[in-house]
Amino acid sequence: MSDRRTLQIKQISAHPGPIPGEGVQRDLEVCKLVDTTTCIGCKACEVACVEWNDMPFSVTTFDNTYQTMPETRWNFWNLIKFNEHQKEDGTIQWLMRKDQCMHCADPGCLRACPADGAIVQYSNGIVDFNQENCIGCEFCVSGCPFNIPKFNQTTKKVYKCTLCSDRVGQGLEPACIKACPTGCLKFGTKDDMKFIAEERAKQLREHSGYANAGVYDPQSIGGTHVIYVLHDATRPELYGGLPKDPQIPWSYTVWKWLAKPVLGTLALFGLLGVCLHYVTVGPRKPQPEPPRKER
Amino acid sequence: MTNGWIDIKNTDMMLIMGGNPAENHPCGFKWPIEAKLHRNAKMIVVDPRLTRTAATADLYLQIRAGADIAFLGGLINYAIQNNRIAHEYLVNYTNAAFIVREGFKLPEDGLYSGFDAEKKVYDKATWNYEEGGNLTGKAVAGAAGDPPAKVAAAKPGGAPPPPMLPPKVAYDLSLQHPRCVFQLLRQQYSRYTPEMVERITGIPKDQFLKAADLFTSIRKDGDMKKVATIIYAVGWTQHSFGTQIIRTAAMLQLLMGNVGRAGGGVNALRGHSNIQGATDMAGVFDILPGYLKMANPADTDFAAYLKRITPTAAKPDAWDSFNYWSNTPKFAVSFLKAMYGPAATKQNDWAFHYLPKIDRNYSWVNIWNDMYEGKVKGLFAFGMNGVMIGPDSQKNIEALKKADWLVVCEVYPDETSEFWRAPGISTDEMKKINTTVYRLPGAGFAEKDGTFVNSARWLQWKNVALPPPGQAKVDQEILATIFLKVRELYQKQGGKFPDAILNLSWAYTDPKNPSLAEAAKEINGKALADITDPKTNQTIKAGQQLPGFAWLKDDGTTMSGNWLYCGSWTEAGAMTQRRGTEDPSGLGIYPNWAWSWPMNRRVMYNRASCNLDGKPWDPSRRQVWWDETKQSWVGNDVPDFKPDSNPKDHMGPFIMNPEGVGRLFVPLGAMADGPFPEYYEPIESPIANPLHPNQNNNPVVKKYKTDMDKYGTVDQGYNVICTTYRLTEHYHYWTKNNPMNVQLVPEPFVEIPVELADKLTIRGGDKVKVTSARSTYIAKAMVTRRIRPMKIDGKETFQIGIPIHWGFRGIAEDEGKTAKTLANQLTPTVIDPNAFTPEFKGFLVKLEKA
Amino acid sequence: MGTAVERFDDKARNIFDRIGTNDVYQGELLRHRPYTRFLHWMVALFFFLALFSGFGIYLPWLFRWFTPIFGGGALARSMHPWFGVGFCFFFGLQVLNWLEPMRWTKADTKWTRGLKNQILKPEKLEPPETGFFNGGQKVQFWEILIGSAVFLITGIIMWVGTETFGRITVAVSYVLHDLSALIMLFGIFIHMYLSTFGQPGTFHAMTRGSVTEAWAWTFHPAWYKQVTGRDPRQAYEEARRQMEAGRR
Repeated sequence: MSDRRTLQIKQISAHPGPIPGEGVQRDLEVCKLVDTTTCIGCKACEVACVEWNDMPFSVTTFDNTYQTMPETRWNFWNLIKFNEHQKEDGTIQWLMRKDQCMHCADPGCLRACPADGAIVQYSNGIVDFNQENCIGCEFCVSGCPFNIPKFNQTTKKVYKCTLCSDRVGQGLEPACIKACPTGCLKFGTKDDMKFIAEERAKQLREHSGYANAGVYDPQSIGGTHVIYVLHDATRPELYGGLPKDPQIPWSYTVWKWLAKPVLGTLALFGLLGVCLHYVTVGPRKPQPEPPRKER
Repeated sequence: MTNGWIDIKNTDMMLIMGGNPAENHPCGFKWPIEAKLHRNAKMIVVDPRLTRTAATADLYLQIRAGADIAFLGGLINYAIQNNRIAHEYLVNYTNAAFIVREGFKLPEDGLYSGFDAEKKVYDKATWNYEEGGNLTGKAVAGAAGDPPAKVAAAKPGGAPPPPMLPPKVAYDLSLQHPRCVFQLLRQQYSRYTPEMVERITGIPKDQFLKAADLFTSIRKDGDMKKVATIIYAVGWTQHSFGTQIIRTAAMLQLLMGNVGRAGGGVNALRGHSNIQGATDMAGVFDILPGYLKMANPADTDFAAYLKRITPTAAKPDAWDSFNYWSNTPKFAVSFLKAMYGPAATKQNDWAFHYLPKIDRNYSWVNIWNDMYEGKVKGLFAFGMNGVMIGPDSQKNIEALKKADWLVVCEVYPDETSEFWRAPGISTDEMKKINTTVYRLPGAGFAEKDGTFVNSARWLQWKNVALPPPGQAKVDQEILATIFLKVRELYQKQGGKFPDAILNLSWAYTDPKNPSLAEAAKEINGKALADITDPKTNQTIKAGQQLPGFAWLKDDGTTMSGNWLYCGSWTEAGAMTQRRGTEDPSGLGIYPNWAWSWPMNRRVMYNRASCNLDGKPWDPSRRQVWWDETKQSWVGNDVPDFKPDSNPKDHMGPFIMNPEGVGRLFVPLGAMADGPFPEYYEPIESPIANPLHPNQNNNPVVKKYKTDMDKYGTVDQGYNVICTTYRLTEHYHYWTKNNPMNVQLVPEPFVEIPVELADKLTIRGGDKVKVTSARSTYIAKAMVTRRIRPMKIDGKETFQIGIPIHWGFRGIAEDEGKTAKTLANQLTPTVIDPNAFTPEFKGFLVKLEKA
Repeated sequence: MGTAVERFDDKARNIFDRIGTNDVYQGELLRHRPYTRFLHWMVALFFFLALFSGFGIYLPWLFRWFTPIFGGGALARSMHPWFGVGFCFFFGLQVLNWLEPMRWTKADTKWTRGLKNQILKPEKLEPPETGFFNGGQKVQFWEILIGSAVFLITGIIMWVGTETFGRITVAVSYVLHDLSALIMLFGIFIHMYLSTFGQPGTFHAMTRGSVTEAWAWTFHPAWYKQVTGRDPRQAYEEARRQMEAGRR
């Protein structure tokens, strides 16, 4: 394991005065950048994902689209969504977006999960499922704003993209990134990816006539560790239903962290109440009671 | 490719047409993307469908399949009209200034001069340059009456000799002479107005003009810094005029000064990992390795053969021409020495007579036609699936029924080896098929070593990843086994002409399984005696590998299996195995990565990247240049030029042409159907050719005449234009056996425009029947907005598209999920007269709900 | 409907009467027949199974305590809905069984109004019009009925999942399911207290089915009157006098 502080500047040669940047630590959060404007929908990432994670093949059927299947599956974590969009001027745009776990900074799945240790968020931003601890309740499914976790009816566990935490942990890029032929997928620190994405969006605005080009990194969930460059960032829903303002259901926020303990305690008050009643008021016995023993 | 994959990153403008690189060359498509990201390069995609390539384009135009010449001709017209041409380049590096003989006629009526309507061939005598000198400034006089050059001298009394190029070509550097190539070119394409383009291609005029303005914008105001590239693939070749489409593109690039330059060129993307290698090594019937022409029965001896195939320089007197093909004798003798070793001697014409002489067209469609007519009795099918490839797969199946035997070497059971169980053949019929089928277990690409030659002409060595499973064997072992058996039979039994077999050089360590490394060294070639370069006094000892084709001799002291590959495996080792990742120039040349023919040049004709003085047109993309102090051409790339030719000598950069310059006008017999490309309708087209309704199709294209060869018309109800293609998710006809690919795209489909589907009440996923004059194809409908209805010559016309990947053997097929019809059952047996490629794109069908 | 339900209930009660016994001794009254007791304990059993399996999932700090009872979180999770189904099934039968005695009356309203008084300063006897079930019991009954309807509906939604019902519906169901559980749990504490320590003699009604007459006239005077024909107040006074006489 790398020491968090190894990349802090300690000293600089022949530098007079205070050391610039002393103690400054590079961002250790990782991020995957998906540039939808240079994605060619070749599905190399889909194949790389299935292969690296050693998943069984899926049976698919023709569905009037180039898209492999309608949604990701428990054994298919990486799916390019193909959408034909007719623009106002009548021309057609064929939008392709690689769909996978977004590795939210504030993960709805993790919030919703009731199983001890089934979902972890690493300090580098990766949100990972530990199937050993998963109880298959599927609460994460409803907690996720991106419809990512998928239940396996056979194992009764939920699965999703791990951002190749096994590879990243060894200093490698995720399998999808490695497979991408055009370089529309990039991997690095969140800061770097954000910078590259913003630069690309600027280029699209200034040179390619996409006035609304921008970066998708929704702040409603604290940002994500997978970010998109979109031709039209004002309409992410065109890209296979990417939510404009993803939300974790209010219930998880209010219920799990506030109401659960409070109301749970209130329920315990029932127990406490009856105990108090017994001690203070005392039981009601069938009448007449035998007279009390006089002292 | 004149350039290379990585070089695309240097471009400022891309025209991608007749190809779908994002889908069929996804890895190479990285470089167009790089150009977009780092140079703000613009990408124009012209295609019948909005493909995944078009999805990333800056401008996409939907064109009618097969209308490409009209579009490109329109671009040429636009560039000339708006003066967006590279004037200095045009005058000095192309034959624009050359004067064409009198009597040459442009095809206003659809025919060039010299057409023989009966034989359907051209007499190309008038397709020639005029002999003479500098006519600059004498244009009017020349045009007025008597030709200044001695045309009479070219035709003395008696039988005319076969037409030759004049050694001294008349020229007009002002480009004003009415018979100069440039004026003829202008006249030819002045008919390709935006309105005409709209009528033929279906691209609305305003969109066409937008594209034309964008593409030619790199030559705005005579600026030479910027470069445009043209990228294409089989979407251009698979037409009855395919070669001419590519010619049009090449002419446009010459006109705009884009050939030879980093980020420019005419770039063919090859459809298989090694199709370039197959062509280089003579996987075509009419060439020998290194594009030497095949001998024919008229070549009575080696000298006659050499005379026919060795060109002589034809140029303006004041200019110089390297005419590199003048070295043909060296290449040919070295090749024969590689083939027949010691048996090839000067006395026996280097065993020239061992070579087969071709007497007719043995191209793909002809093989099947001949088999269908009972002339071809047997077929070896290695590394291809002849039934699936088509065209008119049903005809191929019928042909195989008539063959005596069939040998198929494959990794999967395929449609060719199982043609006898094609859908529609009953058990009783099967019993009547007497073809003996031999199936040989081949090895997959990862189970053999050797080189792949990619589209960028790189020879890249690969290692074996896995041994072939079970009884599977590598190709060379199978071929060697067959060859040794045949040789043994000749040894024992003699035969009509055993020499060619018995004397074939077979000096491999393990004759039964020659290593490909040995074969590669043989292809590179070696010295057979000590040879010395008189200029440098450098000596190569007998038996040493040759460092390059400049060392080849025509006296039998060298051998080389393919002169173009000479330099790929030298004494320093296998250049093809190099993996150096240094790129000092930053132009993506990577000189130490593998090896690129010719002589590791990454961009061909790179002399043209400099102006007349030998200075790069764009100082920021310096490929090669003239070093005055060294008196030599130097550079980041290997100069594709005579290294010591001073710019003052005005040697043409296109050293493989006898003219030394690029050909806007192709003289004599190089093209069968005209010195300039002319737009002809596909054999099956929905309209009469708007340019010349009486000459609808390419006049030299012949239709086949068997009962299987049927061609449809709109009157017969075939009113929808159909085109065929591949998908990213599948590779031809074998990934249908791989569950990974099958899950990505599980079933065959037909792409149909929404508007046509609505008319026929077809919904996405419905089964549809596509019928051509030849057969029927059944698959599910993919109803899409990515193909729009078009107005062709004012008529509403629809196009549909069919991916070709499914047959009657495969995962989905064996599970009974498909109709087991083949896309190529629909395609017509029509071939391009130059390259003999079938017209797989743009034929007529009718569409119904199944 | 009523008659069909009654016929069904009667049949069930009679069958269970043949299996179980009603040992009523001198000075006792039959309160719950075996069918009722059987249903009650089945409901109780499934309630607690569902409670413990559910609570393990519900509260992270109970996860490690409760889920091992069922063989771990995954098993707890997969059995919990089936426990719920069992609970709803038996409680459903109990509802049919108790539809008549649980009907709300004016006496119940009156009883409810005096609730505070009854908790803190217990009158010796319940109000004379208190029947077989008092208002508190009926409130709990109806609460459980409504609560289990919520359980059932939200449980099915969560069980079937987001693909059918959508993410937000499932998320809201999750909350309602838990809310219902908490309300019911609160009630169950009171129920358990009153049926054991809070009102001695009550528990026997659900075990052996009988209660003492004194219990009956004290807690359910109207019912006492109904089954014995005697006035509960008089019976009480009589008993008190006898007891005092006995002491002397």
